[in-house]
Amino acid sequence: MNPPPLPSRQSPFLANNFVFEPMPNAGDPGAILENLLKHPGRIIYQLYQTRAAALAGWMLVFGIIGVAIYGVVVGAQSGGAQLWMAPAKLGLGILLAILICLPSLYIFTCLGGIDAPLWSLCGALFAAVCLSAILLVGFAPVAWIFSQSTDSVVFMGTLHLLFWIIGIRFGLRLIDATGRFLGATSKGNLRIWSIIFILVCFQMTTTLRPIIAPSKTFLPTEKKFFLAHWLDSIASSRQEEVRKAVH
Amino acid sequence: MIKHLKALLRGDVDARCLEKPNVRWFIGYCIAIALGSSVYGATIGLWRAPLQSVFTAIKFPLLIFLTCIGNGAVNGMLAQVLGSGLSFRQTAFAILMSFAVASLILGGFSPITLFILYNAPPLTSEHAIIGHSVMLLTHVFVIAFAGVVANRRLFGLMQKVSGHDHTARAVLFSWLAGNLFLGAQLAWNLRPFIGSPTLAIRFLRDDPLRGNFYEAVWRAFRHLFL
Repeated sequence: MNPPPLPSRQSPFLANNFVFEPMPNAGDPGAILENLLKHPGRIIYQLYQTRAAALAGWMLVFGIIGVAIYGVVVGAQSGGAQLWMAPAKLGLGILLAILICLPSLYIFTCLGGIDAPLWSLCGALFAAVCLSAILLVGFAPVAWIFSQSTDSVVFMGTLHLLFWIIGIRFGLRLIDATGRFLGATSKGNLRIWSIIFILVCFQMTTTLRPIIAPSKTFLPTEKKFFLAHWLDSIASSRQEEVRKAVH
Repeated sequence: MIKHLKALLRGDVDARCLEKPNVRWFIGYCIAIALGSSVYGATIGLWRAPLQSVFTAIKFPLLIFLTCIGNGAVNGMLAQVLGSGLSFRQTAFAILMSFAVASLILGGFSPITLFILYNAPPLTSEHAIIGHSVMLLTHVFVIAFAGVVANRRLFGLMQKVSGHDHTARAVLFSWLAGNLFLGAQLAWNLRPFIGSPTLAIRFLRDDPLRGNFYEAVWRAFRHLFL
């Protein structure tokens, strides 16, 4: 499927980097990262041309590598086995989140009036994950400084979530732009899907816990929803503080 | 170079200076930051003792450079995803430029803060706590002023570069938020700057990497209000 390039309907905020046009050096993996940051419109355009599978594959690889690099920083707080467990869990988690959410993305794009094949939506989702992973790598030095300054899992968990939300916010803009590029009749469906994707990722951090704190087993023995886990973590952190204050 | 720094302070720098970042200007900005902020840093520590003054003169520029390095990657990425069209090198150049403006302003304020210091109750007086508070408030005011002016200059430059007010505002806000967030923590790690009257003079506190600015603020807030 090769839809004709559409004139980009730019919102003022996305003034000059969502222009849907061919990407020069499309076969060069190094150019992908640069274009994702500077000209994401080119990536979206290229995903609907020939050799899109290679482009999508590279973005998935870069995305997982980026998340794993950030995972090393996440694991550095506890050290030991967490240094490999945290990147492995984050890489695995993002892959599982993609697999879980891909079918619903296809359904929601159909509901939005878009006629796009499933493989092309894979590319858009990989691009979103890759962009958020690149931003996480950018945040890694900041996260490392904080991880060396505190023992609080709650503080670091909140900080990592904040950085991830900033990253995924830019990533999901790509999904939105893909909808525009493909002539979506309404934005609402993709927005609802974005919320679902974020919730799945939140739950994934609980399903694969602990990611920040040290653990004896790779996976947890108890099942929990993410909100319950976060509230429990905050409560146990307070109890720890009180115990320290008493001693 | 001095002409260029003067143009920078006036806000007359052309957007073209970011198109081909000049190594000479880059070195000039680093020198301006090192000189301006270390002279001002010396006046911060002087109220406590001359040795503290030397320590703060070293730590103040260090804080600025560490903030630039720590946030370098993410600032470059944010500038690109927000559509400013700036590369990593240009982003680093623009941020150094704004820190250079702030440092020059701080350097210019040093005689004034020295004069206030001369008039403040010294450490040995019974009103030492007033002296400490006056110096603290003076420095907060001067540093905030320098920061506001430097960011206004940077905003003007970003408007010229991006061609859009909203893009310039979004990029500037994201840089500012990131630099304040990391800068506050690094300042916490590099403390003391003024020097507590009750503690011995040291370059850094024991185990400087332990402790977190935001947790300390939260603890203080809880003690006061909860």
